[in-house]
Parts: sequence; structure tokens; C-alpha cells
Amino acid sequence: MSGSLWPLVKLSLSRDRRSAISSTFGLAIGVASLVFFVSLGLGVGRIVREKVFPVDTSLVEVVPAQLSFGLLGGGTLDEPTVARLEALPGVKRAYKKMNVRAPAVTIYRGDFFGRPLHMGLEILAVGVEPDFIKSDLMLGDFADPGPDKPIPAIASTRLLEIYNKSFAPQRSLPQLSGQMLAGFIFPVDFNRSFVTSTNPNESAIPSQAQLVGVSDRAMLAGITIPLDAARRLNAAANKDAKTFTAVTLAATDPSQVPQLVAAVKAMGLRVDDQDRRMAENAGAAVAISTSSLALLSVLICLLAAFNIAHAFSASVRAREKELGVMRAVGASRSALFRLVLVEALLLGLLGGVIGTALALLAGYGLDVAAVRFVPEFPFKPETWFERPLWLMGGGVVLGVLAAVAGAFLPARHASRTAPVRVLAG
Amino acid sequence: MIEAKDISREYDDGAKGRLKVLDGVSLSVAQGEFVAIVGRSGSGKSTLLHVLGGLDTDFRGQVTVAGTRLDGLPDAALSRFRNETVGFVFQSFHLMSGVSALENVLLPARFSATPVTDLEGRAKAALDRVGLTSHAARNPGQLSGGERQRVAIARALFSSPKVLLCDEPTGNLDAETADGVVALFKQLNASGLTIVAVTHEDRLRGAASRVLTLSKGVLS
Ligand SMILES: Nc1ncnc2c1ncn2[C@@H]1O[C@H](COP(=O)(O)OP(=O)(O)OP(=O)(O)O)[C@@H](O)[C@H]1O
Ligand SMILES: [Mg+2]
Repeated sequence: MSGSLWPLVKLSLSRDRRSAISSTFGLAIGVASLVFFVSLGLGVGRIVREKVFPVDTSLVEVVPAQLSFGLLGGGTLDEPTVARLEALPGVKRAYKKMNVRAPAVTIYRGDFFGRPLHMGLEILAVGVEPDFIKSDLMLGDFADPGPDKPIPAIASTRLLEIYNKSFAPQRSLPQLSGQMLAGFIFPVDFNRSFVTSTNPNESAIPSQAQLVGVSDRAMLAGITIPLDAARRLNAAANKDAKTFTAVTLAATDPSQVPQLVAAVKAMGLRVDDQDRRMAENAGAAVAISTSSLALLSVLICLLAAFNIAHAFSASVRAREKELGVMRAVGASRSALFRLVLVEALLLGLLGGVIGTALALLAGYGLDVAAVRFVPEFPFKPETWFERPLWLMGGGVVLGVLAAVAGAFLPARHASRTAPVRVLAG
Repeated sequence: MIEAKDISREYDDGAKGRLKVLDGVSLSVAQGEFVAIVGRSGSGKSTLLHVLGGLDTDFRGQVTVAGTRLDGLPDAALSRFRNETVGFVFQSFHLMSGVSALENVLLPARFSATPVTDLEGRAKAALDRVGLTSHAARNPGQLSGGERQRVAIARALFSSPKVLLCDEPTGNLDAETADGVVALFKQLNASGLTIVAVTHEDRLRGAASRVLTLSKGVLS
């Protein structure tokens, strides 16, 4: 039926070209802004999630209670406690972590990837189990080599990013990659500090570290070394070499995490969810700004729908006689309703497709411009946008919906035109 | 062919209440007849024609046209009846502007309940019957008044209706052109088409096989 209405739809759209173009344009603007902002929001959200605050949602970081439970002896992370943690339902694996509890500094004098470098830096070190970082390991087997050999160390991916984008350019130091860093050896003096006075009775433990990889799981402001090395260094510095600084629980599934957190708290331990909170806050900020812009775009679409309603009711009024003739030659009410609605549907489809294409174009343009004109900074992405298929489809559907919604009342008016009134001579 | 019994039609007349335009009109038209209905302006001629053609549904009484009972018929069926069984011709032609005569003629096909084959051929045949084969590609703006009315008649003939319903078909035409259109009606009637024409013109009245007068809501 509506197949044969096609020529009439084409006819009326081509006769009223100017209003058809303005209706389509309004829709295209609304759809374009929605697709653009949602695409940007998704893109920025992904950058925050994957690069700025990479959080593995199946990991739970357990730390000791702030106050010790004295006689009960609870609240510390010793081996029996770790065993109990690992036995909790939903735990796949528990990874022990121990900070090197003595201060440490690195003093570098010499050639640094082709540049002379002279630098002294206070650093932190944490020992982790080899399995915890093994997927990012590039060199060796991440075991404690003993007192006289360089300790394998993993650097943070984020730290490397900050070094490359902010630190290095300002000091004309070379750009580095994980590949280049692997094998790099630098001195580290444990039990020594620039900022606090170290106990004069304890002598510094000169040592060396060798970078063997970069990882999201490595600590940000320091080096991540084998757990056994941390134990050894703590013992050598007369520090606690028994209890752990933290235990990372890998849940069998991210959905297990809430129960796991509750169980951990019931054991008198704390969960360090700072990173997770930070990621959640940043994610929420992105989501909120995206949705407010999306809302604005929906308002533009609403406006476009009103524009269509206006244009179509004018067009239906102007075509009253013609619609009356159509009734006389056999058009049913529903046929006229469909006729007007199909016209709108076509404009909506066109507006939706054009709007989505405009949004994509603007996004690619901005990406290119950002690469060329925005200076490097940490976590600067190659693309700021995410372009999932559902968003493209959604843009087109939104255009169609806005147009059809706008044309609904005019279409009903057309279907109710009394032919007798407009035809009588 | 047409069997109308006791038709009444009232209009809401604003403050004055109800205006009774048709007051128990009965009419019987046989197959092949050419009936002219006359009456002064406002007597309800157009109203009656719209009832007979299934355009107006707010009447009381019974109407049967070519075997189809119109009173109480739902919109879809009534539309199909208008599409297939009757053809309307109006005083002011009511052609679609900006499209060719041919496209105007095949308008009924756009709303046909069954797919129409050979659209163009049939539209050309209809134009041929009104003597306008050569004007098929012209827009209404490029046609004279008489030619426009012929295109409108071709449109009414497109679906091969059983009855032609004409409302002042010569009202907007000069004498000579009107004569031509009346001759066309006579010719169509001679080929078996039933025609009911509303008019107050003598030339159409003269062509009809029967003349009825509508006055004060009653046909006589
Ligand atoms: N929709 C309507 N609402 C109210 N009154 C109407 C309506 N349509 C027609 N009328 C009235 O009904 C009466 C009959 O109208 P109709 O058009 O049938 O007359 P007519 O005989 O065709 O007149 P004319 O020769 O001028 O065409 C007129 O008085 C007219 O004012
Ligand atoms: Mg009239």
C-alpha cells in the first residue's frame, strides 16, 4: 500500500523543498550534537578508564587496620591472615605486597640514553610476588638475585607516560619506551634519605636496580621489586620483614567484589579503594558532563521536532484541497495519515544520516587538529572519540523519531480533513 | 444503480441550532441513466451528491450504489468504494498543481487496494477518452479551463467507475467550452456510464435523460 504512496511522498517533498530542507537541517543539527557529545564522552571516559586511572575491577587491595586490635592481634597482614584472605569465597588468588620500609634514594651520574644526566631522587620501593606482574615482565624471571646483583624492578606505565609527555620535553631528555628501558641499570641506596635524617647507627645499603618492564600494576612513584628482595632489604635495615603492607585479592569475577570487600572488613582489615574511587569520580564527572550535553542535544532535537510540527501543519493546511481530492478518489483516513508520516520519516532518516555524518566528520576533524595543534601532555590520546555502531544507529533512529513525533499531529489532522468542506463549489 | 431512501442531513449552524439541508430525500437511478439535479444555491445539491458518492457519512437514511450499501460502512470500505465504483467531477477541477496531466489522472491508482498494472497505459487510455492524448505531459498550469476539466474527468474515469458524480462540472467554463464538456458527458453516457450531475445550467439539463429539482430539502 504505502509502496504506491511513494510517488506522492516524493512529489510533495520536492514541491515544498525549502521547508523540507529546513526541517532536515534542524534535525541534522540536533542529531549531530547528540552523536558528537556522546561520542566524545565515551572517548574521554575510555581514556580515563584505560589510561589515566587504569583500574582492574576484579582486584581488591587489602591493607592493615589503622588501629591495632592489641591483644586480639587482629588487623595486621601476617601469613595466617593472608591464608584466611585467600580462603575467602570468590578469591582466585591473593598477592602479597611488602614495602621496603627503609628510605631509598637514587643518585644518577652519567649517560642517560645518549644525554648526560645528573640527578638525585628520593624513591619508594614495594616488593610483589612475581606472578602479580609476570604478564608485563620483559626480562628475566623477577626473583631476588641476592645482595650483590642488580634487583629486577618494574616501573609504572603512568610514570613513563608522565616522564615522556611532561618531564622529558622540559629537560630535553629523550623519549623512552618500555622496550628501551628494559635492561637499564641504575644505583639505589637503601636506608638513605635526602629529606629525613636516617639513624646514624644504621649504614646505607648500596644496591642497584635493573628495569625489567613497565606495568599498570607497578607503584606510581617508585620501583616494584620482587617480594623476597623487599623482605631481605627490610631485614638488613632492621625493619619489619614479616607483615605485609598490602594484599591484592584477585576475585574470580568483578561481581564478587562487593561481597569480598564486606568479608575483608569483617576480618578487621581495610580495603584501599583510593584508585578505584578516583577512577569512579573521574568517570562520574565525565558521565555527568556528557549527559548534560546529551540532554542539551535532545532539547535541540525536541526543537527540531517542533519545527517539523510547524512546517507540516502549515503544509497540511496548504494541501487541504489536494487531500480532499485524494479522499474523493479513494484515499482512506489511514492512507493520508501514512502519507504525511512517511514524508516526515524520510526527512528524519535524511536528517539522522546527515547529522551522524556531520558528527563523525567534526570528530575526525578535531582529532586531526588535536594531533597537529595541541602540544603533547600525559595521556594525550590519538582519538578523543568513541564511535560504536549503536551510537551511529541511535543517531539515525533519533532523527526519525523526532521527525515522526513532530509530524504526528499534522498527520492526524490530514487524516481528519473533511473532504466535503474543502471540495464543495 | 443508485437506490437512496429517506436521506436526511443536518448541519450544526452555530447559534441558530440545526440546519436541515436534506429532509427525507429518496432517489432511484437506473443503470445508464443521465440525471440532472437542479435547485437554487444552498438548496443542498452538493450535500446530496457527497452522500451518494460516499464522501459524506453524517446522514440518516439508506443509500445503495452499485450493490454497495453506504450507510454505516467503515472508512476503509467506503474509501475502496470511492476508489472503484464512483468518479467525482468538481466545478473547480481540483487538479494537483506541479504535476503532469498523466500523473493527475492516475492519482486513484495510488490509493488502490489492489495493485494496478500498466498505470501509464490506463491513464493514457482515460486521457484518450476525453480527447487529450497529446496533453499528457503538460502541467495543469499549461492547460485551458476546458482542458483542465477534461483531465479531471479522465481522472474520474481512470478506475472505470459505474457512476459519474458531477458537481457543477461546467460552472467555471465559458459557453463554448461547456458545450464541449456536455457533449463528452453525452458520449460517455451513450457508452453505458451512469451520470448524476448537479447543475443550474440549461445546457446540462438539456442533455440529461431526467431532471430533478431539490428545494427545501425535498427532491421532486
Ligand atoms: N459544513 C457545513 N456546515 C454548516 N452548514 C453547511 C455546511 N456545508 C454546507 N452547509 C450549508 O448547507 C446548505 C447546502 O449546501 P450545499 O453546498 O449542499 O448547497 P448547494 O445546493 O450545492 O449550493 P451551490 O449551488 O451554491 O453549490 C447551505 O445552506 C450551506 O450553507
Ligand atoms: Mg454546491
